Amino acid sequence: MDQLKRENTTIKKEQRLRTVAYAVWGGLAIAAVLLLTTVWVSGSAGTGTDQAVNKVSEFYLEELAGRRAQVISEELKNYFVCMERALEILEDEDLESQETLRRFLRKMKTLYGVAKFAMVDENDIVYTEHSTVSGLSRYHFLAGELTEPVISTVNLYGAKKQVLFAVPVEHVVFQGVRIKACFLEVNIAEMMSSLTLQTSDRTYYNLYYRNGESLTEENFGYLTAGNNLLTALRDAEMETESDYEKLTGDFLDGRSGQISFTYQGMKEDLCYIPVEGTNWMLTILIRDNVISGQISSISAGMIRRGIIQIFITVVSMLVVFLILIHQSRKNAMALLEQEKANGNRIRAAYAQIERERTAMENIQAAMGSGLWSMEFNEQAKLISCTWSEVFRKMLGYESEEDFPNRLESWSDLLHKDDREQVIKEYWDTVKDYSGEKTYNVEYRLLTKHAGWRWFHAAGRLSRRGDGSPITFVGLFVDIDDEKKLEEQLEKQKVDLEDALAAAQHANRAKTTFLNNMSHDIRTPMNAIIGFTSLAAAHMDNREQVQAYLSKIATSSNHLLSLINDVLDMSRIESGKVKIEEKETSLPEIMHDLRTIVQADITSRQLEFYIDTADVVNEHILCDRLRLNQVFLNLLSNAMKFTKPGGIVGVRILQKGNAVNGYASYEFQIKDTGIGMSQEFLEHVFEPFERERTSTVSGIQGTGLGMAITKNIVDMMDGTISVASEVGKGTTFTVALRFRICSGPVEQAVIPQLQGLRALVVDDDFNTCSSVTKMLSTIGMRPDWTTSGKEAVLRVQLAGEQEDEYAAYIIDWLMPDMNGLEVVRRIRSIVGDEKLIIILTAYDWSDIEEEAREAGVTAFCSKPIFLSELRKVLESPFTDEPEEDIVPEDHACFEGKRILLVEDNELNQEITVEILQEAGFVIEVADDGAVAVEKMSQADPGRYELILMDIQMPLMNGYEATRRIRAMDDPEIAGIPIIAMTANAFEEDRQEALEAGMNGHIAKPIDVPKLLELLRELLR
Amino acid sequence: MGRKADRTGWKKRQSRALIFLSGMMIFCGCGLWLNGCGSRTEGEGRLEAGTESVQDGVEQENMLRAVDFDHELDDYEPLKKEYNFYFTYKMVHPWWDAVALGIEDAAGQYEEQGVTIHYEYLAPEIVSAQDQILRLEDASRRDFDVIGVDVADVDMVTPAINRLIEAGQKVMTFSSSDADRENGCHRIAYVGNTHNYEDGAELTEALCGKLGYSGKVALLIGSRGAPCHEDRALGARDVIAKYMNMEIVETVYDEDSVDKAYEYTREILGRHPDLSGIICCNMSNPVGAARAVIEAGREDEIVIVGMDHDQEALQYLRDGIIYALGVQDCYSIGFDTVQTAVRIADGQLPGEAYPEKTEESTTIIYQGGAATMLRILYGEID
Repeated sequence: MDQLKRENTTIKKEQRLRTVAYAVWGGLAIAAVLLLTTVWVSGSAGTGTDQAVNKVSEFYLEELAGRRAQVISEELKNYFVCMERALEILEDEDLESQETLRRFLRKMKTLYGVAKFAMVDENDIVYTEHSTVSGLSRYHFLAGELTEPVISTVNLYGAKKQVLFAVPVEHVVFQGVRIKACFLEVNIAEMMSSLTLQTSDRTYYNLYYRNGESLTEENFGYLTAGNNLLTALRDAEMETESDYEKLTGDFLDGRSGQISFTYQGMKEDLCYIPVEGTNWMLTILIRDNVISGQISSISAGMIRRGIIQIFITVVSMLVVFLILIHQSRKNAMALLEQEKANGNRIRAAYAQIERERTAMENIQAAMGSGLWSMEFNEQAKLISCTWSEVFRKMLGYESEEDFPNRLESWSDLLHKDDREQVIKEYWDTVKDYSGEKTYNVEYRLLTKHAGWRWFHAAGRLSRRGDGSPITFVGLFVDIDDEKKLEEQLEKQKVDLEDALAAAQHANRAKTTFLNNMSHDIRTPMNAIIGFTSLAAAHMDNREQVQAYLSKIATSSNHLLSLINDVLDMSRIESGKVKIEEKETSLPEIMHDLRTIVQADITSRQLEFYIDTADVVNEHILCDRLRLNQVFLNLLSNAMKFTKPGGIVGVRILQKGNAVNGYASYEFQIKDTGIGMSQEFLEHVFEPFERERTSTVSGIQGTGLGMAITKNIVDMMDGTISVASEVGKGTTFTVALRFRICSGPVEQAVIPQLQGLRALVVDDDFNTCSSVTKMLSTIGMRPDWTTSGKEAVLRVQLAGEQEDEYAAYIIDWLMPDMNGLEVVRRIRSIVGDEKLIIILTAYDWSDIEEEAREAGVTAFCSKPIFLSELRKVLESPFTDEPEEDIVPEDHACFEGKRILLVEDNELNQEITVEILQEAGFVIEVADDGAVAVEKMSQADPGRYELILMDIQMPLMNGYEATRRIRAMDDPEIAGIPIIAMTANAFEEDRQEALEAGMNGHIAKPIDVPKLLELLRELLR
Repeated sequence: MGRKADRTGWKKRQSRALIFLSGMMIFCGCGLWLNGCGSRTEGEGRLEAGTESVQDGVEQENMLRAVDFDHELDDYEPLKKEYNFYFTYKMVHPWWDAVALGIEDAAGQYEEQGVTIHYEYLAPEIVSAQDQILRLEDASRRDFDVIGVDVADVDMVTPAINRLIEAGQKVMTFSSSDADRENGCHRIAYVGNTHNYEDGAELTEALCGKLGYSGKVALLIGSRGAPCHEDRALGARDVIAKYMNMEIVETVYDEDSVDKAYEYTREILGRHPDLSGIICCNMSNPVGAARAVIEAGREDEIVIVGMDHDQEALQYLRDGIIYALGVQDCYSIGFDTVQTAVRIADGQLPGEAYPEKTEESTTIIYQGGAATMLRILYGEID
């Protein structure tokens, strides 16, 4: 039995051994068959490969070159596509300013990864991301009209090789100038690199022009960078004699081809192919031995790797099979254990969740807050969102149908001012993988029935081990009542603070004003009283008395202006001042303005100019009186605060932004005076504000001028702004829009002067610039100079060039040569026929005779407007008869009788004195009633005129006038009556006229003005 | 026993098969390995790129130094992150395009440091002092940190510069022409050529030497009033005056125009059959003069000297038509102008921080250096 068992055991062992042996031998046999097959196949392939080396290399080169050329061509086209796309997305706001255009170009440069992205306007100005440059000489494609896309190279100064792609552009206008082209620049080396055309060990790529010059800075085989390919290969040993001619011919005609040659001892294959859309040739150079060597190497490598692969495959199969069986058993066991453990954990977790949910619901119920929760997947994407019923009810929704479990249900209700911050806070919390951040925000939500309400929301996240979010749970509480209470308190606090500040400021300002007024009124009053006493004490010294009286007059005038300002401000603030628009000439306003301030300017030794720019509408509807007041206030300040030798100027610019029927102007009043601090600039237009009190500065004023000015400008629907720097000066800019009452000044050229030259000579550059523009408008070719001497030289030069000036506009007063002297010298060169106009800011009557003798044809006042210049230049070509000059009618007052109606004795005395001096005979009535009585008894023609006070004890002036006008005798009823009253405002004047009076004179009496009015009415 | 014999035979067969297989594998493997190893290809280990033989080391070095493209910003740290400059120059012309490249590169290097340089670089198509004054006045009304000007006419532009300075603008001069403080100009600094007189003198000295200090010459100046042209002409006149047998028979202003220079030279050649030299004071007139001389077939009789690096002029120099050219380092002018403008914008005054005049070099080159200069500037090789 034992024997049998032993035999059985032995037999089993042998069977096992034999099985193993068969398996080993079987494996070896399979390996041997695979090996032999591999060797046979590889051997055959090697032989075939050797035979096909030449064919393959030719095909390889041709294919390679073709593909590469296509790649380049596609790349080039891509650049054009880039530009087309860029132009498609170019929007109007990108063309609003240089800054927006540069931003656009920078975006395009970055987007397309090019060296430069630019646009060119029709003046050949090139705009890039950081610069604006003149480009005509640098970019050759700008020399002609660009009608189709162009590829060219930029000026290669510095061997920085760039290729340029340009396309024509239509319908794009930047700052009034047409954009004609768009282009981009690409560094050739970078382009080659991006197309994987960089040279490797033994394969060389390059681009050449058809004349053989290289586009790149790369070596090409043994050819040094920058060498001409065709010149260099002249010395190469060609495989076929005609190959060199073929090469040069192909290059010249842009044909592809392939040649073999030996250069510097190395046999090489060169393939070349034209690049579509360019005059470039792509060249590829491969060394002959490289191709065969590499193919043999590849073939041997294949066989070697095949054998190794066979061994590894057999062994690996066995090992992998055994490992797989073993591992699958282990995994099955592990999974079983894992599932058991998971089951326990899930049950425990569910129980915990249930407990927490119950607890949470209790808390919510207690706090009146709504719960919400959200679930996220491992990529932090929201996968579910749950709003609790309490939450819904707080927002006024009843069911999930009304308010679905989606994030948008909530986020769509967020207030627009809170939305961005709340959403950001939400996602910041979700994405904070550190888990430190807590979601805690207050915001407004639109509830279904109660409008916007404030809520407070807070929540935290549970997270996975890597920090990614799992569940986001939070609470939501209605805090609307608290929030509103808070806002109300805050508003009350701010209002109280503002009110306190305003009251304190007003109080301070009024105290300051009273102090200033006290000082400013006392100062002239002191002078008046003091000098009056002095005059009384020196009655016998006539000269001294005259000097005192002059000082009294000055102080009185100042006192009057103080009172006027204070009253004006009061009336403006009470809304009594109205803007009355009347047809007005802007040139007249400006000329009058100059006349008014000229005396002050001269006495203060200031330099003054008024110039214009682009003024095409000269006749407007405006309240001339108030506009003058604005200018005079601003100029008065400018003069007051500018030291002798300084400059005060007014510039008028017409802006092109007015709607139809209106014209917009900007009036700049500049000075080079002491300037203002930035702190004071904020208060400059507030009443009673002065940077330095007059007691400190010595410059008198009420601090109301600027406030009045601002109010008037506001009433005219305009704006006023100020820029100032201490020690440098101040510029006030008043922007106003007026209705126009005539068309623009004629802009057409004057045919007789078209194309002729004109010379402007003025030491002020601004005048030169302004007049030059006007001359260009009427079709002349203007030159200018700021030097009288240079003007004479230019006239000589023009004569030598046989291109003389047809007109000369010359300033009267210039530092290097007097205008009249310039005229004399020019006349001596050009003769008597040319038009010479003297431009002056002064009254020219005193020099007119001398000027005419010197050869001046006409005069023009500064500031000069286009219509005036046009009129003067056209005058030689029009036949308009000269208007008869009517001599001024100087009414003679001698013996004329006036009835003065005045209740105040002092005023009676003053008026009688003034009028008797002028030759009138005066009768006085103490009251309106007396005047009516006198008139009713007087013969017709006894009185020439009545001067009527308004406020009188028995009968006021209005009533008296009405009664006189109602009298039977038409001559008596029609007598001229002038109101002479301390009621000095515009509405007082209106009331006087409505009562039937013929004029109005305000007290204190302005004697020249009174006499002028009398002259007018008695004419 | 029988089984033992069987086992022995089996083992023998196993051994033989293994030996056979191993032998085959070794044979095949060796062959394959050998095939795979292969031999080194021809030419390996040789120097791939050829090197240009340099005949005249000193002249070559001069050429390389004439225009210095390897600029790096100095270690000054700008105070602001953004600057806005305005540059205006005499006229649209390739010479100023070379200056523009220096400006562009400096702005690019500042950008790498996080400092943005915005600039305008504009000029009229013909030289005009009036146009330049209008441009300056216009620029002063805009918000530029520094205004740079290549002065078109010292007498006319100086008052405009002074007005701008008085109005608080920061104004510098650059590139070819300065208006300096000695002449009443209050500009802050100048970057560019400060030795135009010497350049004119040196070129003329070379011409005189070539002519054996005897002969009649013509002087083509350029733009009337342009300081650089006038100074070079003055240098030329002073040198000619030194030599008794030398004489300037014609002086013309060609307005920096190739066409005008060509026309004037044609006329001069017609009037002076015995002319032996032409001195050119700008970038355009050597080209115009050379074209006229070639057209007249008198390139062997007439010696031309001139300024700057025009590609055509360099080709004439290489071909022996032009005798010498003074090449200015325009690139450095542009680069240093930006560096100086940044300092001026930061409120620094000339002194230790930067010089009041930054002097840029001029190199006189002859036929031997022309090809190298063409390669440096235009990548061109014979």
